[in-house]
Amino acid sequence: MPSSNKQALSSPSRLKSSGVRPKLWIFIALFTASCIGGFALLLSPLVSPAVLKFSRSLVEFSGILIGACGGHVRVEGAVLRDPFTGFAVEMKDGCNAANVTILLWSAMLAFPAPWRMKAVGLLAGSLVIHAINIARFISLFYLGLYSATLFEFAHAYLWESMLVLDTMVVFWLWVNRLSRTSALPNAA
Amino acid sequence: MPPDSPQKRFLILGSLLLVFLLVSWWFVLSNPLLVLLRVSAEIGWDLFGNNSGRLISETPAGDWSLRVPVRFTIPASPQQPEPVKIHSVDFDIGRTQAVAFTFSLPVYWAIILAAPNVRRNLRPLALGSVVVAILETMLFLAFAEISAHNVAAQWSPQTLDSSDWFLRFGYYLVVNVIPYVAPFLIALGLHREFGGQVFPGVHSKTVVVPSHLPVHSNNKRCPQ
Repeated sequence: MPSSNKQALSSPSRLKSSGVRPKLWIFIALFTASCIGGFALLLSPLVSPAVLKFSRSLVEFSGILIGACGGHVRVEGAVLRDPFTGFAVEMKDGCNAANVTILLWSAMLAFPAPWRMKAVGLLAGSLVIHAINIARFISLFYLGLYSATLFEFAHAYLWESMLVLDTMVVFWLWVNRLSRTSALPNAA
Repeated sequence: MPPDSPQKRFLILGSLLLVFLLVSWWFVLSNPLLVLLRVSAEIGWDLFGNNSGRLISETPAGDWSLRVPVRFTIPASPQQPEPVKIHSVDFDIGRTQAVAFTFSLPVYWAIILAAPNVRRNLRPLALGSVVVAILETMLFLAFAEISAHNVAAQWSPQTLDSSDWFLRFGYYLVVNVIPYVAPFLIALGLHREFGGQVFPGVHSKTVVVPSHLPVHSNNKRCPQ
C-alpha cells in the first residue's frame, strides 16, 4: 500500500527499524492483553459497584425514553418492570454492553493510530454502541412481554451477535476514517 | 456512512444473514449440531487423557448429565464426622445451556457469507467451520471442567479459595465472551481479503524502508 510506505517514511519511530514488521502479531498480542485486562477489571470487586451504577443509569434512561414515547414502565434499580403484567428484565453484566465496549476499546487501543484519533474513536464508538444497546434492551423488554421463547432466543443469541457485528462495523468505519485522513497506520 | 460503502453492505447483509441463519439454527440445526458437539466432546475428552468413562449421558428429560473427574475432600462436619474423598462430580445441564455451544457456527457462516467477494469465501467457509467446531468443543470441555471445579469449591471451600476468582473469570470468558467474539476473529483471520479491508496496513505485511533510500513505486502501470 503506497500510502503506508509514505507514512512509514515520515514517521521517525519507523526509521529505526527496517524489514517486514509482524504488525498483525503485535495487534493480536495488544488486543488480547487489553481484552483480558478489561474483562478482569470488569469482574473485579473494585469495579463492580461502578458497573452496577452504570447499569442502573442505563435502565433509568431506558425508562425515561419509553415514557417519552408514551409507554408505561417502572424502574427499580437495574430492573425494568411492566406495571400491568409484572414482567421485568434486569440489566446484568453482559446486558450493559460492557463486553463489546471492552472489545472495541481493545481493538482501537491496539490498532496503530494517533492517540487523538483513538480518543475520538473510543468516545464516538462507545456512544454508538450504547445507543444500539439501549434499543436492544427496550426491544427485549417488549419482546419478553409477548413470548418467553422469543425473548430467550433474541436475548442470548440474536441481539448479542448483532451487537458484536455492529461493534466490528464501528471499528471498521473508524479504520476507514483513519485511512481517509492519512493517519493510518504507523503511529503505534 | 457512504451509501455504497463496504461497511454498509456488510452491516446490512451480515444482519440479514445473522437473522436467517440463527433462526434456521434455532429451529432446525440445533439438534444435529448438538449431536455433533456430543460426539466431538467425547472424542476430545478421550484425547485429553480422560479415560474415566463417558463425559456425557442423557437424562430422561433430554438434558445432559456430565461426569467430570475432580479429586477433593469434603472436610469433617457435625453432620459428617469423617472427611469424604470425592473422585468425580456429576451435574446436569439443561439442553438450552448445551445448545449455546453450537451457535457460533451459524454466526461464523453469516459473517463469511456477508464478507466481500463471495467466490473467495468458500475456502475460509469450510476451513473456518472446522476451526469454529473445534473451538466450540474445547469451550464445552472447559465449561465442564470449570463447572466441576465450581461444584468442588462449594463442597470444599478451603481447597479452592485462592482460585475462586479465576474460576469465575474463566467461566465468564467461556460462556459470555469467546462464543460471541471468536467467529468474528476467525473470519477476519482466515479471510485474507476481508481481514485486509478491516485491518489495512496491519493484516498485510508492510515493508519499512530506511529514510536514506529512494522510494520506488511498485505500481506497474506507472513505471518510474
